[in-house]
Amino acid sequence: MSTCFTFLRHFVKRSVVPFVLHKKGTGLYFTILHKRFSSRTPILFYPNTEKVPPIKKIDLDEWKNTMKSSLQEERSSFTTSDDTLTATREWIEMCRLLNREVPEHISDEDLKMVAECPSKKSKKKTLKYLYIKEMHKKAKKEKQEKKRAEMDEIEKQKQLGNAEESENTELKNTFLLPLNDRALKAEWDWRNAQAMIFGQPLVFDMAYENFMPQRDLKNTVCQLLESEGANRKNIDPFHIYFCNLKVGGAYHKELIYRYKEKWEQLLLTTTEKSPVDTFPRESLIYLTADSPNVMTTFRHDKIYIIGSFVDKCSQPRISYANAKRLKIASERLPLDQYLQWEVGNKNLTLDQMMRILLTLKNTGDWEKALEFVPKRKHSGFHNVFVNSNNFVMDLQKNKLEIKKSFRKLSSNAQSRETWWKDE
Amino acid sequence: MMTLLLSFCRSWQMLWKNRLYQGPSPRNQTYSVLYSYFHFGKKEQRYFSLTLPFLQNTKATKLLISKATSSSKSGKNRSKQESSVSPHPLFSAGTAKKKSEVFGYKKDQQHCFPFSSPVLLPTKPLNSEEWDKVKENFEQKDIFENWMIAQMVKYSCSIDIAKSLLSWIARKNNGVVGYKLLIGYLTLCVSQRQTTEVIDVYEIMKTRYRTLEPEGYTLLIRGLIHSDQWRETLILLEEIKKVMSPSKKNYGDCIKGALLHQEVNLAWNLYLEMLNHRIIPNWETFQAFFDFAKGVKNNPFERRLLDILLYLKHNQMYPTEPFAQSIKAWFESIPEKKWKGESVTIHKSGHCSACGRMLKSIHLNSEEYEFLKQRVLKDVLDGGDQYRKTTPKEINRFVNFIKSCPPFDIVIDGLNITKMFPKIRESRTLLDVVSQITKQNLQVLVLGRKHMLNGSSRWQKNEMAAVQNMAYCFFADNISEDDAFLLYATLHSGNHCRFLTRDLMRDHKACLTDDRTRHLFFRWQQGHQLVFLNYYPGKKIIFQSVLTYDTVIQTTGDSWHIPYDENVVERYSYEIPTKWLCLRQQN
Repeated sequence: MSTCFTFLRHFVKRSVVPFVLHKKGTGLYFTILHKRFSSRTPILFYPNTEKVPPIKKIDLDEWKNTMKSSLQEERSSFTTSDDTLTATREWIEMCRLLNREVPEHISDEDLKMVAECPSKKSKKKTLKYLYIKEMHKKAKKEKQEKKRAEMDEIEKQKQLGNAEESENTELKNTFLLPLNDRALKAEWDWRNAQAMIFGQPLVFDMAYENFMPQRDLKNTVCQLLESEGANRKNIDPFHIYFCNLKVGGAYHKELIYRYKEKWEQLLLTTTEKSPVDTFPRESLIYLTADSPNVMTTFRHDKIYIIGSFVDKCSQPRISYANAKRLKIASERLPLDQYLQWEVGNKNLTLDQMMRILLTLKNTGDWEKALEFVPKRKHSGFHNVFVNSNNFVMDLQKNKLEIKKSFRKLSSNAQSRETWWKDE
Repeated sequence: MMTLLLSFCRSWQMLWKNRLYQGPSPRNQTYSVLYSYFHFGKKEQRYFSLTLPFLQNTKATKLLISKATSSSKSGKNRSKQESSVSPHPLFSAGTAKKKSEVFGYKKDQQHCFPFSSPVLLPTKPLNSEEWDKVKENFEQKDIFENWMIAQMVKYSCSIDIAKSLLSWIARKNNGVVGYKLLIGYLTLCVSQRQTTEVIDVYEIMKTRYRTLEPEGYTLLIRGLIHSDQWRETLILLEEIKKVMSPSKKNYGDCIKGALLHQEVNLAWNLYLEMLNHRIIPNWETFQAFFDFAKGVKNNPFERRLLDILLYLKHNQMYPTEPFAQSIKAWFESIPEKKWKGESVTIHKSGHCSACGRMLKSIHLNSEEYEFLKQRVLKDVLDGGDQYRKTTPKEINRFVNFIKSCPPFDIVIDGLNITKMFPKIRESRTLLDVVSQITKQNLQVLVLGRKHMLNGSSRWQKNEMAAVQNMAYCFFADNISEDDAFLLYATLHSGNHCRFLTRDLMRDHKACLTDDRTRHLFFRWQQGHQLVFLNYYPGKKIIFQSVLTYDTVIQTTGDSWHIPYDENVVERYSYEIPTKWLCLRQQN
């Protein structure tokens, strides 16, 4: 009976289709359903009053008395402090009791930021951000402690077995010290210095300061750092230009804050001038996803411009408008031509662009370069099968055209015939 | 030119009704199947009682369905009587829904099937041992209490059971019940209107906690307005204000509480405060004022209610059906003035079918028109950066072109109308439409893009040349947006000019910066946008009629006309209601 009932419930929820299924394979379907159902409703109460003797009256208001009696002081109403900051702090405390996503500890600065948010939604958003940040920090700390404990363990065991091991270990005979970080860095710097002299320029256009809120600007600078790092480690790096970088502007400040004293030693060129003033206009190509032109090959004699702009406020065509204004040629990556695009924006992050361009520069292989497009955005490259399909379609098109031309010919022939007849 | 093919219109409505009727019928079948299953076993009674909420739901849906069908039937009768009734094809309520049904986008089956799964909760208060036993059976022991109270709230359990749960927890926990559980219990009490319990919980919270968070306050306010301690709700409202601005629900509850206890001025002050904070009140709040005023005979209050109606008018808000009934009831309750209310539809010509009065015209006056024109040029076409939608050079070219031409009668979005019929060659559709319209001696402007001229299998050069002979044409760059040009050309030609496109222009409306301009734009759009009623190549083109009257709350002193949303019709934000409440004084 109960299986019948579960089946019924499921049936009611899922319209007619399961009904048909049930006819096909009754036994299996029933068991699956039963499992599913029993896991979903853990408790089953039957009002089986015959078995249990009438229980004594339960004191339902008992908890109220204890809750009231355990109080320390008598208050007539809530006493929130009038100061907004303290009130906000108390509010956050109460939210924690409800298991809301709010941080456990909050600094005065953050508290001020939360209290100054204009709306309820923005407050909640900021608190959630702080909460997630706190969780990450906590997880990191835990991981570190675990690692430290493990290291201590190893150390201890080493010390225990030290006496025997020290006799066995001998100095190995090598002709090199291990290649350390410093050597690698020197090598990278050497390459980048060469790129500064002979390398192909790559421009980051920093003209979008005013289109972004603070958090997007921070993200952009993160991406810039990432792409600069990728370039530095490459075998044949670009010569990076930061154009339109205003000294004392938000970008400049944030970059100096992130790079610290390294900023002055970076092997790239920064300028307040626009790319049009720095380079000949004909050799510039602005890369933007809104462009109607598709990039087919990477050209080593051109200077590519990437707009350093994280557009979370969905203001379309801004960088393309910029290219139009400066009368620069524009191109977009052939994402649709090579990938089966599924979800997401065609705009890629700066470091992905940088990696794609570097790969193109070194190999010229689109498939290899587009490996850096996030996997979640597409379901794979257009494979051979699709290509062959295209091939067949092309063939059919050709056939049609041949037919058409044939018809034309024949109609010509007909007209010739009539002409003959007229004659 | 804009003749309306009535018979077609009627058949179209019939079609829709058939669809509407098809909807519920499969459900009824499933019910009958179910019913036979219920009578299958011996112990059917037990299971029957368990699934009670589900059966109630079906009853509710059936009621709703019967209501919908009856209303559609009456609508059919009405359309036979007053066949001139025709809502605007794009903007009248329910069009988008209908369209989605025609195109076969079906909603998830489960979605339209209101069904609450009967989770098996205890049916009577349990003692401690029994609760212990229950907890043992539960898989995740650490969240058991919270889960249990959440389920109780979801299925609206009797509060005695919740109480027994709380006592069990308190006994385990040295007499302490957590805040989350208290909130859950409070929710249960508030939803079941157990005012004494709410007051008890309020006392407990006051002694236990120095302050609450807005959710707790909201619940307390909602619970306390029915009690004698309703004035405390105002203190709670002040408490919320310290952290954030209270929601419309908070204000609405406080206003309701004040009205329940006959404090009209207090309620009105709260209402004004709410408007000052730019919070748009709930329909229930408005309704509370009207419901309250039914018994009161005092003149200043009448003025206030009319103020509310004017507020709705200015914000282009359309009342819901229950609120419309409240308005009607209030008007009819005013002594000696003898108001009479009726729910009506409006004739195509803009006459009310009950009193015959002419409704307000949809056309903008010259001042508004000029304002809208400037804003469209500035916000839509220019948008702060002329390069984003087009180029300054092209704007110049376009403005010069417009100046050199006489005012147009119809502006056509060439690409939009030709793409409507994918089976017909684009240039042929365009030529057909343009030649038929120009036969009526109308000045036509065709907007398009340059690629249309290049000549291809879809855009034949000779046909495009013929179009250019008959009408003025402007071809924008392939990368520019032609809609903005369309809007400006139409606005520039003057009030008589219409435009032909199926685009709803929502993105362009969004470019406008403030609400007032958006309302103006929408009013203008309703009065000037043409759509095909049907189109077959070579046949005579018939357009749907445009609206001549403005759908907004309006008055002439001794009459009111109030559009409202019907309960059964789903209206999208860019649509307008078709039902009206006509109120008039009888002499």
